[in-house]
This record gives sequence, structure tokens and C-alpha cells, in this order.
Amino acid sequence: MLTALILLPVVGALVVALVPSRRREVHLPLGIALSVIPLAVAGYLFWVFEPAAGFQHVERAVWYEPWGINWYLGVDGISLPMVVLTALLVPIALGASTTITNRTKEFVVYTLFLEAGMIGAFLALDLFLFFVFFEAILVPMYFIIGIWGGERRIYAAVKFFLYTAFGSALMLAAIIALAYNHNAQFGFTSFALNDLMNLDLSPGAEGWLFTAFAIAFAIKVPLFPFHTWLPDAHVEAPTAGSVLLAAVLLKLGTYGLLRFNLSLFPETSVDAVPIMAVLAVVGILYGAVVAIVQPDLKKLVAYSSVSHLGFIVLGTFALTSGGLQGAVIQNLNHGLTTGALFLLVGMIYDRRHTKKIADFGGLQKVMPVFAGFFLFMTFASIGLPGLNGFVGEFLVLIGSYPTLPTFAILAAGGVVLAAIYLLWAYERVFTGVPDKEENSILTDLSAREIGLLAPLAALIVVIGLYPAVVLDKITPSTEAVLDHIEEQTDFVIPEPGRIADVVVVGDAE
Amino acid sequence: MIPTPEISWIAVAPDLALALGAALILLVDVQWKPPARVLGWVVGVALAVAAGFSVLQWFQAGDAIAAGDNESLIAFSGLIIVDGFAVFARLALLVATALGVTAGWRFVVGLGRRGAEALALVLLATAGFSLMVASNNLIMLFLGLEVGSIALYVLAGLARERPESDEAAIKYFLLGSFASAVFVYGVALIYAGTRHFEILEIRSYLGDFIVTSPAVIYVGIGLVIAGLGFKVSAAPFHSWAPDVYQGAPAGLVGYMASVAKVAGFAAIVRVLLTAFEDLDATWLPVVAGISALSMLVGAFLALVQGDVRRMLAYSGVAHAGFIMTGVVGGSTDGVLVYLAVYAVQLVGAFAVVAVVSGPDGGRSGIDEYRGLARRSPLLAASFAILLLGMGGLPLTSGFIAKFGVFTQAWASGFEWLVILAVVASVVALAFYIRVIVVMYMDDPGDAAEVSVGPAGWVLAVAVAATILWGIFPTSLLDLAADALPL
Repeated sequence: MLTALILLPVVGALVVALVPSRRREVHLPLGIALSVIPLAVAGYLFWVFEPAAGFQHVERAVWYEPWGINWYLGVDGISLPMVVLTALLVPIALGASTTITNRTKEFVVYTLFLEAGMIGAFLALDLFLFFVFFEAILVPMYFIIGIWGGERRIYAAVKFFLYTAFGSALMLAAIIALAYNHNAQFGFTSFALNDLMNLDLSPGAEGWLFTAFAIAFAIKVPLFPFHTWLPDAHVEAPTAGSVLLAAVLLKLGTYGLLRFNLSLFPETSVDAVPIMAVLAVVGILYGAVVAIVQPDLKKLVAYSSVSHLGFIVLGTFALTSGGLQGAVIQNLNHGLTTGALFLLVGMIYDRRHTKKIADFGGLQKVMPVFAGFFLFMTFASIGLPGLNGFVGEFLVLIGSYPTLPTFAILAAGGVVLAAIYLLWAYERVFTGVPDKEENSILTDLSAREIGLLAPLAALIVVIGLYPAVVLDKITPSTEAVLDHIEEQTDFVIPEPGRIADVVVVGDAE
Repeated sequence: MIPTPEISWIAVAPDLALALGAALILLVDVQWKPPARVLGWVVGVALAVAAGFSVLQWFQAGDAIAAGDNESLIAFSGLIIVDGFAVFARLALLVATALGVTAGWRFVVGLGRRGAEALALVLLATAGFSLMVASNNLIMLFLGLEVGSIALYVLAGLARERPESDEAAIKYFLLGSFASAVFVYGVALIYAGTRHFEILEIRSYLGDFIVTSPAVIYVGIGLVIAGLGFKVSAAPFHSWAPDVYQGAPAGLVGYMASVAKVAGFAAIVRVLLTAFEDLDATWLPVVAGISALSMLVGAFLALVQGDVRRMLAYSGVAHAGFIMTGVVGGSTDGVLVYLAVYAVQLVGAFAVVAVVSGPDGGRSGIDEYRGLARRSPLLAASFAILLLGMGGLPLTSGFIAKFGVFTQAWASGFEWLVILAVVASVVALAFYIRVIVVMYMDDPGDAAEVSVGPAGWVLAVAVAATILWGIFPTSLLDLAADALPL
């Protein structure tokens, strides 16, 4: 089933590619229809997922025996939300791309290839395979930004490509080193995650391998100070590109830190907690402060991503149950809310051809539905209780308090700043009287646009009100990561850092 | 009666087929002046016959090694060796030749009466290099090298109406002869030190005896590395490459560059990894240094080129560095895989260059590629895939090739070289995607659609190989793993 999930978008892309270029009107609807199929499969996967079973639906086929590389896929509670999110956002992103009128076919093809790569990266349990997907994703995204982006699209695309390629080059060296070490210790080369987790690495080797992986993922997240490619890429990318970039591509970084750094290098992960926490909190506060002063709505959302992803990294390196749960669910939440915010920015840009906050004003009188959705997503992003952002940020904060109290308090400041930059932006764009003539003639959202936003809004409410729907699937997997760290190191997670600690108290009552 | 050496015709059958093909073309052309198409068929038949005999040799080599009868692979009193390594390298040469001639077909036809010369020279060059990869004797190796190289010098100057072509030919000839002289002097010194020309004899000599005054041998090895390094355009022996790549006939550059690289590296592997494997402490640092220098010089100088041919020349320098990581890693099969992969991509890439450069072959500035994706989408897509393949992106054969040599270098303890190599690979990606930017993201302006012609076949093969080997590498890797030198 997992292989099918990766191949379905590829097949879809090939089908679209076979439609003649002159049948322009066919490409986009066909692409959307074809991307709904993987979504259905992903939904089914979510439905049948057994939380307690660890990696499941595992598929393993030898790729090239002497090198020890395998087509090795599996899904657990950490990757499941990301797979579903990817499958959900691709049709939505395509649906939001009706304004792309030149070279539509290529656009749809690249987007579907991108989907295959992203899903593959989340499902890969073989590091070679992971690297293949991780790197292959760059190409379609590069084309999406570079061909359909804004004015400085080429600069943004090349910067995006080279930054990430540089990060992954170091990771490739580290992957080679891991496999070589496995050969030295066990007598056969393996790139499988579960094999490499048993490696006995010298502290020095573990240190630099951790660093190589961490830099690759920190660039992807992006963590301060590796973030400079992100605003450029976001601002120049077309709406669909921004949505997928923010919602899914960046998550490869946070996912990678959680999946690979914590599991492969537990010892160094524990040692690196202070550094990662500092970078995370600097990212949270820096992203938020810079977001406040952005004159461009899209750039504001981009910097808010830097801030929000800092929370995820903080939760990851809190090394507590709450922190990891929060990190995983925030991966999903940020994808939903920021994806929606980029959609909204794209919708207003399509109408007004500007993203400058100063060009707007009083829009809620002209476009009440649009304003409503924007306010809703703003609240979700700020972390209003009852919506999904609250669940994630709350978990991260209480999760990081036992191990990193100072950082938790500082990070809480980021929540306040988020309220400032988003609500202030809302105020400037939507409240007051529409004093500019161009703004007073704007049309409100169409049924199509509402249809794109509604599923995201529904999920935001569902997760906000009943997070167990997702958390139950996540928790056993995040607990397994922590168990592995406690087994491999002397590190003892302070109470009440583990869920077990909390449950005992609850039972006693 | 003086005993005549036993002549094993089958050992040289591929080379003979190529040389006879060349002779036939010249004779037939003088006598009947047939259309170029007929001569093309002669080339095709010669290549097919050579390939057929090579395949036969492949199985013979496999049987002989399985039977433990290594002696039967050595022919002509130790001059020629037909092990799997030689056969694999020769098949790569033949494929590159077939693709290269197809890519340059328009140029050949455009030469009119001189087309026959071009085809004969191509076959002669391939025959020379084919002997070179199957040499077990340094003098034999030198002969093969010279036969091949001299044919290439002439080919470089075939586009006479362009002054750059003359420049390329003269430069290539002067520097190339100098490199050959350096090489042959190195061979002389090696002979002085070991009293052997034969590669296998040198190996057993060095294995059996402790050389008391090794300095002569060391200098000899150094000169041989320099001479062969020139042929594969490794830094610091690369300065000829950009001018030759730019000036030589567009249609044939891909062929010239790829066969020189395949043969040169096959020779490097045989000399260093077979003859001097016991002295590796001496040459490993040198080769690692050349490798590092080539990667850096190639990648960074390619970044600043405004001409796609010069860019590909410098990228070829970088690739020489990447391939040398395989030599450093002692990985004969890694080098072979890289050579096969790169040769096909290079011929494909130059097929695109030839098409875009136009009939006179002069238009190779990067601006000529502006908006190519709008004008000729298939051509642009092929070029993009080939460039990404050369850049070593996953799911292309380039990644498989790079991964193979890098892991071997890592396992041999050259971690620093691998780290340098992956970083250089990213720099290399930068200039490959620069071309893609121009093709895909710039406006074509009023430039016209270009017509592809027979080069389309080359592109189809090269792109298919790049993608299929990238996703299903098993067949190629297994084949190379069987192609061990004796």
C-alpha cells in the first residue's frame, strides 16, 4: 500500500504528461482528480493505522544487494500525520492554482512528482532511500518556484536549491559513514534505520555525524541562522508552491531531526539539547519580531513559519513525552494553518496583485467571508484554545518545562508576539473603512475557494476540540523514541516528563 | 628457426575490425565516392563487429577466470590482455563512438567529401583507445594512446572554416604531444627501475622484490600520472580542455571528450591499481591531491563560464576529480560504472550543444539556450535531465556513479576527499542548474525553434540510460563488478 501511495502520484504525473499540451483546460482538473486518489489511500491508511504496532505496512525489497540498499518503507505515528497532510494539501494546492495559465501541464506534472517525493521521504526507512527522496524533491520545487514565481523567482529558486543541496551533501557523507561503520561492526552494509540504530559509535564520530544531519535538517526547517533562503523562496513562489513548501517541505526538517537525529545519535542528541534549544528559541523570537515589521503579507506569514517551526524543534529537543507529541502534532497543525494562510494570501493577491499590507484596509466590509476565514486561521495560528494551534503549542510548552524551563518561558513569549504580528496585520488589512478605490470593488471568495479552505478549517476545529483523534496515533511512536534514548544513554527524563508519570498521578485519584 | 609468437586473432579482433573499417572507408571513398550514408553503414558494421567480438571475449574471460586459467587471457606474448575490465571499457568506448557519430552526423554530412576522413579518423581513434584499454604492456599502451590521440588532434581541426577549430587542433596537438612525451619518459624510468614493460610483470616484480632505490620508479609513476592526467583533463593538466571543447567541431566534441576519458582512466586504473598496487603509499596522496584539485578547479571555474562548451569542459575537469576518488578508493568497478555513465551523458549533452550551436558550430554562448524549453521542449527536457544526471542528483545514473566511488573512497580512509567531493558536487550542481534556469525560466525572445535531426536518437538513448540506470542500477553495477582486471 505504501509503495502505491508513492507511485500513484508518479502515474498521475505521467498521465497528465501524456495529455497534449494544447488541451489546456484538461490538465488542472485531471491533476486534481488524480491527486485525490492518493488522498483516499492516505485516509484509509490513517483509518487502519494501529497505534501500538510501531512501524507497519512495512514493505521491503532489495534494491541493490552488494550496496545494502533497500526499497524499505513503513509508517508509524510520526510519519502518518505528515503523509496524510501531504496527500490532503496537494489537491488543495492544485485547486488554488487556477490562475496559472501558462505551461499548466508542466505545473501539474511537477506538483505530482513533488507529492511522490514528499510522501516517499516520510515513508522511507532506509537512509539511502530517504536521501534519494529528500534530494529529488528539490527539482520539482525548483521548477515550481523558478517558472511560476514572482519577479525575483530565479534568484529565489537557485538560492533554495543550492542551500538545501549543500545541506544534504553533508548528510550524504554522514550516511556513507554510517553505512561504512555498520559494515565494520556487523560485517554487512546496511542503510536501514533499525540496523543503524544499533550502531556503537565513538562519541567523536557520533558528534560530527549528528552535526551533519542536523545542519541538513536545520537548513530545511529552517532554523536560525540557516533561514535566509526561506523568505525569498516563499515570497517568490506561486501560491501552490508556498503552501507545499511551508506545510510539507519544511516539515522534512523537523521530521528528520525527530526521526533520524534522535534515534541514530541519542547520546549526542542529549548533549546537544542546549544548543538546539537556543537555536529554536532564537528562531521563535527572531521570526516573530521580524514578522511584526514586515510590510508584505506573504513575507509576514513566511517569518511566522520560522517562529512556529522553532516551537517544533524546541519540543523535539525537550526530550519529554509532551514535547515530542507537541512537535509531531504541531508539524500537522502548522501545515494546516500556515497552508491555509498562504492560500488566503494567494487569493487576495489574485484579486489585487499586491501583497503589501499598506495597500489594503477595510477589507472585511468588502470581503466578509475572506475576512472571516483569515481571522479564523489567525486565531488557529496564534493558538486560541479550541483550535489546533493551542494543542500543539501547549504540549510543547508544558513538555519542555520539565527539562528546559527557561526556554519554555522564553518560548511562551513567542506566543504573545504571534498574537501581535498576526492581529496587527489583520487590523491593518481588514478593519477600518475601505479607503482605497481598488479595494472597494473586490469580490468575495468564490464557492471553489471556500471549498479549498473548508476542509482545512474543519480539521483545525476537530484537532482543536478532540486532539486525541491524532494524538492517540502519535503517542506510542513518540514514546518509543524516548524509550530508545533512555535505553541508549544515561539520560533520565525528569518527572513529570513522561506520560507514565502523569498517568500514575491520575490513577491515584 | 626463430619461434614466432602465437597469434591470438580473437584477442585483437575488435581492434582489427575498427582499423579495417577505417581503411575500408578511405579506400571506398577514393574509388567510388559513395554518399555519406553508405560510409555511415560501414562505421556501424565495424562497430557492431567489434562489439560482437567484445561480447564473445567477455564470456571467454568469464570462463577462463572461473577455470582459474588466467594465462589464456594474455595474448601476443604479453602485449594484450583481454580481461573483463578491458572488455567493459572497450564496450563503453564503442557505445560512445556509436552515439558520438550519430550526434555528429550532420557535421559529417556537412563536410562533404571530407566526411569520409572524419569517419575514418573516428574509427582509428576508437581502435587506438580500444588497444589502449586492453594493453598489458606500457609501450603497447603508449601506442594505443598515440593512435587515438593523433586521430583526435586531426578531428579537432576538422571544422576549418572556424579559426577556433585551428586553434583547438594546434593547442591540443602541441600540449598533447608534450604530455605523451612525458608519459613515455615515465615509462622509460619505470623500465629502468623494474626492468619490465609488462603491467603484470611489474606487479609481480614489485611484489617479489624490495626495491632498494625506488626514486626512479617514483618519478616514473609521477610522469605517467601526469601524462595520463592530461588525457583525462585532470587539474593541473587541464588547461587545454576548454579551448579544445570550444573550438573542435560541435558534433564530435562529445565523442572526443568521452573516449579520451574512458581510455585514459582505464589506463590509469590498470597502471596504478594493477602494476603499482604495492606502491600505493607513494601514489595515493598524489592522486588524492589531483582529485581534490580537479574537483575544486573544475567546479569553481565552471561556475563563471559564459559558454556552455567551456562550462562542460570545466565540468569534465571536475568529473575527472570525482572519478579519481574511485581510483583512490581502489574501486575498479566504481570507476568503470562512472565512466560508462558519464560517457553516455557527455555525448548526449554535446549532442544538444551541437544542435543548438547551429550549422557552423559557433553559437555556444549560454544566451543561445534562452527559453529553449519553449522553443524545443523535448530537447530542453533531455538536456535538463542529462545535466541533473551529471550533477549527480538521485534517481539519475550520475548519483549511482558518484555514490559508488565515494563510498569506496570513504572505506579506504579518504574521508576528507569524500567530504570535499560532496561539497564540490553541490558547486557543480550550481552551474548545471544555471543552464536549466536559462532554458526554462527565461523568455525565448524571437529565437527560432531548432531542429534536432539524428541527434534525437542519441538523446533518447542517453536520457533513457540516465534514468533507467538511476532507478534500476543492478544490471550495470553487476556487470562492472564482474569486470575485474587480472
